Amino acid sequence: MNLNIDRNDNGDTQELKLAGEIDAYTAPQLKEALLPLTKAEGTMVVVDLEGVNYMDSTGLGVFISALKSTKEYNSDLRLVALQDRVRRLFDITGLDSIINIDSTVRGGK
Amino acid sequence: MEPYKFDVNNYRNLLKKYISSQDEKSLYQAEQFSKLSMQHNISPEEIINVHIQALKELYPDLPTEIDSSMNFLLETMISYGLAYQEFQSLREKQGELESEISIAANMQQTLLSTTKPDIKGMDIGAISVPSHQMNGDYYHFVTDESNNLGIAIADVIGKGIPAALAMSMIKYSLDSFPETMRNPSVILENLNRVVERNVDTSMFITMFYGLFNHETGSLQFSSAGHEPGFYYCAAKDQFHEITTKGLVLGVSDQATYEELEITMEPDDMVVLLTDGVTECRIGERFIETEEVLEVIRQYMHLPAQEAVESVYRHFERLQDFQLRDDFTLIFLKK
Amino acid sequence: MITKSSVQINKEWDIVGARQMGRELAKDLGFGTVDQARIATAISELARNIYLYAEKGKIAYETVEDMNKKGLKIIASDQGPGINDLSKVMEDGFSTSGGLGAGLPGVKRLMDYFDVVSEPGKGTTITTIKWVR
Repeated sequence: MNLNIDRNDNGDTQELKLAGEIDAYTAPQLKEALLPLTKAEGTMVVVDLEGVNYMDSTGLGVFISALKSTKEYNSDLRLVALQDRVRRLFDITGLDSIINIDSTVRGGK
Repeated sequence: MEPYKFDVNNYRNLLKKYISSQDEKSLYQAEQFSKLSMQHNISPEEIINVHIQALKELYPDLPTEIDSSMNFLLETMISYGLAYQEFQSLREKQGELESEISIAANMQQTLLSTTKPDIKGMDIGAISVPSHQMNGDYYHFVTDESNNLGIAIADVIGKGIPAALAMSMIKYSLDSFPETMRNPSVILENLNRVVERNVDTSMFITMFYGLFNHETGSLQFSSAGHEPGFYYCAAKDQFHEITTKGLVLGVSDQATYEELEITMEPDDMVVLLTDGVTECRIGERFIETEEVLEVIRQYMHLPAQEAVESVYRHFERLQDFQLRDDFTLIFLKK
Repeated sequence: MITKSSVQINKEWDIVGARQMGRELAKDLGFGTVDQARIATAISELARNIYLYAEKGKIAYETVEDMNKKGLKIIASDQGPGINDLSKVMEDGFSTSGGLGAGLPGVKRLMDYFDVVSEPGKGTTITTIKWVR
């Protein structure tokens, strides 16, 4: 399975648009794209998950790493447009309480 | 048929016979020859060399163009020969690694083994099957002197060896907590701090912890981001999701865990599981919760152990006998 | 009789020259076709490593004689960056067969004797021998 990552550079706001599946095979790819963005102070990193129909716990691991990195570098992380199945994963694991998630409004512009 | 030896004479005779009759038998013997060559670590360029020798003996007046072209082929095959030898050596190494992993898997089983307790008035079934050699799922039973039962079911994010190593840590932490510390929420809070201090940032663990009071029939439970289980209420013949708010273990040392309680009546049942069950794929799609419950319903009249095994076999078949994730399922039947 | 000669490796085409000299010496020493091809391939690997990683270096040839056998010694030397982790480089599967060729393990397989001395920042010397069978 594949994961497509499109990056949209708007200066202080960096948007990653994902499409496909996030699992043990594609998670390293996401990590490589996402983590460096969180290391610029003051950046708002918006991850658009509208095109992601499957994510497993490896994907959650990547977002947790990214979140920890935003705390360290004083940047921000926001997830938008999650499909129900993916959203459920964040709810169950309690990660919705520590990660900024917006399922309805498209952000980043 | 003659025995096969790797020498030019044998090959030349075979080749001669084939060129004159073009029969299938010679080709079959050529196949034997090539297998035998591999067994003796003969590289492709040597076979081509034997071919050149045989050809020259059979046709002393071989045109020089053919001769040169054969030499050209020989040169071309050298790198293939090397790649083949490298492949052989990597295959040996792989064999060694696999046997090391299987030793580690056995050791994990011994380290993490838990005995299913006999509790009066409670029928317990438990199964945990790894998708690879090492299991990232884990369940654990403890009983105290008044026959109360503590049940932990957990899933380490990620699979394979790192997950298994993290599991051993969990088990030993659980064992080291004093017996007076029995509240599920307190146990999870303590475990969370252990995990937070000891594992990599991208790793985390989900866990459901339950404490069954054998006197009152109550089950107190807390969940650290674990896949919700189900409570089957026999009186209403209905399943209810059981879960509480709580962050997965290892992400924030500030996490606290909600604790809830249900009281089990005769014929009620509690189902605990990991996402290997609920994230089961049937072909291209994922199984729906209703379908999971239907399967459980189909087997829940059986004795608990038989029931969980039957459910597992059912799911195994649904997924064409290829588990994508570790699968753990526990039934507690009153 | 001991002959010594060498070829400088500065550009990719020098690899061909190095192969050719090795093959001619091998032929003169009485190596069979298969061994000639193996020696040429080993030289290719060594020369290409020089060309790719050190830019400049040389391949030197010596005929060697032992009690009752003759052989061809090939010494590849450069003043390049050197190899940091030799045991890693000598591991199978390290240099992917696709891009980099057979790598040093391949050279070791093709030849009868193999030795490598490398100092990071100073350069690498690889000595190999093939004996006439």
